[in-house]
Amino acid sequence: MIRADAAAKVAGTARYTVDAAAPGMLHAKLLRSGRVHARVIAVDAAAARAVPGVHAVLTAFDLAPVPMPVYGYYIKDQPILTDHVRYRGDPVAAVAAETEAAALAALRLIRVTYADLPAVPDIAAALAPDAPALFPEAPFGIVPAYGAGAAGRLRPVPNVCFDFTYTRGAPDAFAACDHVWEDRFSFPRMTHAHLEPFVCLARWHADGLLEIETSNQNPFPLRRELGRIFGIPETRIAVRVPFVGGGFGAKNNCKTEPLAALLAQVTGRPVRLCLTMEEGFLTNTQHAATIRLRTGAMADGTLVARSAEVLLDAGAYADGSPLVAERAAYRAAGPYRWAHVQAAAACVMTNTAPAGPFRGFGGTQVTWAGESQIDMIARRLGRDPLDLRRQNLLAPGEAYAPGDTPLDSDVAAVMDLVADAMGRSRAPGRGLGLAIGFKDGGGVNKPAQARVKANAAGDVWLACGSVEMGQGAQTAMAAVVAGVLGCDPGRVTVAPIDTRHTPFDQGTNASSGVAVMGRAVQAAAEGLRDQVLEFAAARLGLPASDLVLVDWAVAHGNERRPLAPMILRHFGGTGFEFTAEGFWKQPNDPAAPMGSPCPFWEVSVAGAEVSVDEGTGRVTVHRLIVASDAGHALAPDVVRGQDEGGALMGLGQALFERMLWDGGTLVNIDPLRYRMPMAEDLPADFRSLAHAQGLGPGPGGAKGVGEGAILPVAAAIANAIDDAAGVRITALPLSPDRVLAALAARGAVDD
Amino acid sequence: MTAPVPLRFTLNARSQTIEVPTSRVLSDLLTETFGLHGARVACGRGLCGACTVLVDGEPRAACSTFAWEVEGAIVETIEGLGGASPVQAAFAAVSAFQCGYCTPGMILLATALLRADPDPCRATVRDWLSSNLCRCTGYAVIEEAVLAAAAAIRAARA
Repeated sequence: MIRADAAAKVAGTARYTVDAAAPGMLHAKLLRSGRVHARVIAVDAAAARAVPGVHAVLTAFDLAPVPMPVYGYYIKDQPILTDHVRYRGDPVAAVAAETEAAALAALRLIRVTYADLPAVPDIAAALAPDAPALFPEAPFGIVPAYGAGAAGRLRPVPNVCFDFTYTRGAPDAFAACDHVWEDRFSFPRMTHAHLEPFVCLARWHADGLLEIETSNQNPFPLRRELGRIFGIPETRIAVRVPFVGGGFGAKNNCKTEPLAALLAQVTGRPVRLCLTMEEGFLTNTQHAATIRLRTGAMADGTLVARSAEVLLDAGAYADGSPLVAERAAYRAAGPYRWAHVQAAAACVMTNTAPAGPFRGFGGTQVTWAGESQIDMIARRLGRDPLDLRRQNLLAPGEAYAPGDTPLDSDVAAVMDLVADAMGRSRAPGRGLGLAIGFKDGGGVNKPAQARVKANAAGDVWLACGSVEMGQGAQTAMAAVVAGVLGCDPGRVTVAPIDTRHTPFDQGTNASSGVAVMGRAVQAAAEGLRDQVLEFAAARLGLPASDLVLVDWAVAHGNERRPLAPMILRHFGGTGFEFTAEGFWKQPNDPAAPMGSPCPFWEVSVAGAEVSVDEGTGRVTVHRLIVASDAGHALAPDVVRGQDEGGALMGLGQALFERMLWDGGTLVNIDPLRYRMPMAEDLPADFRSLAHAQGLGPGPGGAKGVGEGAILPVAAAIANAIDDAAGVRITALPLSPDRVLAALAARGAVDD
Repeated sequence: MTAPVPLRFTLNARSQTIEVPTSRVLSDLLTETFGLHGARVACGRGLCGACTVLVDGEPRAACSTFAWEVEGAIVETIEGLGGASPVQAAFAAVSAFQCGYCTPGMILLATALLRADPDPCRATVRDWLSSNLCRCTGYAVIEEAVLAAAAAIRAARA
């Protein structure tokens, strides 16, 4: 198969927002505070404004004309520019100038007077009884409607912006258990490190239209935020999104766009705001977390009760943290059968960069803990970890939670596939480990709409809001359309995204591509096919049900009638376009804990073979094999890409990736000091196994695959380390210092 | 802004004579003067390899190369490969890309490798690819593409 975006991307002609330019364009740069927590007392920008080529210098004190200069998901707490610095790197001023050099020169001349506040650099400091509040007053926020067993709260204590609980079954289940184990896990944060920076180009046209071209995963929610911030109807906003050079969750909601739009408004010129990769590190991150799991089981290995307490480091602003907290808590049960689950997750505000959506979305944190603990329990019970899992895994069709979608995968089959590929016996000096990634997939409250049209010649356009950020959305959606219309996928062109013309979509996230948007696209294509067949049936005097659409001809038995002449004869020489719309939304249901049953369950399994150098503490991963249940692979290369890309991101998380904070200062703020996986980090045997069970809700039984493979990798490697060296490490990354400390502690116990 | 200096070099097989400020980096020159966007900047520090171009056949980070450094040199960018070179064809055939942002750099890196070593072993390919970052693919498929391109080039010569 050839991906829809292959030709442009290998030729170097694919167009990204970073390439965008406009006549008269100004360049914006931000002054980021060097303070960790401080009040801005005064800003002297006179010298900066006098720099030749500078058109505007804005600070928090210049925002009065903006109706609502704050943004966020559930909680609107992040100012466009701040007078209360909440992390080192918080933007306090912005400059627009003829050149980037002039803008940078102006930044150096801005004098800010601060009054320092006590720093709250981590979760423990934030929850201390006398901790200073990052927000002395509660920002505006909402709690969405949840279903059975779920509840959310805004600001239960001043430095927790949101917490979420999910409960099912009776807590006395713990009392009946033969064993109750409590274990604690910690999880550092990664940076997304998308290679295309956060970047946008904003301009106000003479007719009042705000046009923004941006590298963003969700153009329609962004349009809504911009309309609210600037107090203008959405009809006066055009958000355009070309190819996006990687997102991994970071490019949701507003990032650069409101400030660029404001600078464009003030200067009357197009404004480009392009952040550096270092600024990207300070703009959005994964959530660091501490996870406490309490698990009760019977002597025969039957799992009974689980309680989970997850503390997420949300950083300085809420961003997507409340949504991540929902998922972290809801997913904490894993793919197992329980009589009782009690899960809570809290978003703790700290003076560090804001955390938000990151591939896995809370599932990564709790999978690390849950799939480590299940192995620990197996060892405590003297059981084989795979057998203990098998004993407790949910079966296909069984409920994960009352009211939610029944399980649509045979998880044990995926586990066995990987276990068989790994082999059940280990070589001398090696350890084997396996873990299961499991999450509700496809998101909640995600209406998706699509439009398909075809001209007289049978050239097809698809318009939908799925952003092509590398995941293969265009290829998969074109395959859906081609499948319905009986044509080659090459006949299907995916139209560029412009919120003025593109049908509505909630956003490109939550692995929702094929299982949510795919169904809207399928419905649109089916509508178009039916129109064409009805048209042909009327011309031919045959029932439409007897006709089949093949290569823009109608087949009736062995006879094929080309459509183009039929259409031109009927509509005249200039032709006609058939157009059809499609829509999909998972219906809301208060019985479902998250407010609607999840579109599908995302299942992945990782198997790792490792050795541990007991002299240096270095872990070598010799083999890493992953499999996910794609349901049905609409585009096999795309599924493989998601699985292997996710797995290698998981390997980085397992072995070395972490943002290092020192009292509110990010120490490793570039890709030299922040270690990311390179080709040389590939295990000698690194593979994804194609696997599809056909039980998903998308076209042909397809499911989403975007996030699954990152989930289980870290726990699989930790489990393999325990198998190899007899040490259990409960903090990531599994770095040589931690391994050496664990080996030393093992010796102490042995002695 | 620094005073312009004359610069003569060959860009994608065409000789160019221009003036550039000494502060201008090669990636900006390619974008702003020649409208070539393939060498896209990601880290801006010569670490990630996304902006890789070939200077006298050697991979160089265009973001960290001053324009005046290519005086008299032959510069090749992704646009100079034409879109259907054996390496490009192999990347397209096995989908050795996702977001595509690192892809021009990876393709030029592989092109330089296969000129130097038409029959590299997997370890050599892995060693070369380790100079460039890809956050999407997991690299294995890129290795496959490079090995497939090598085979295709050898087959075409045989």
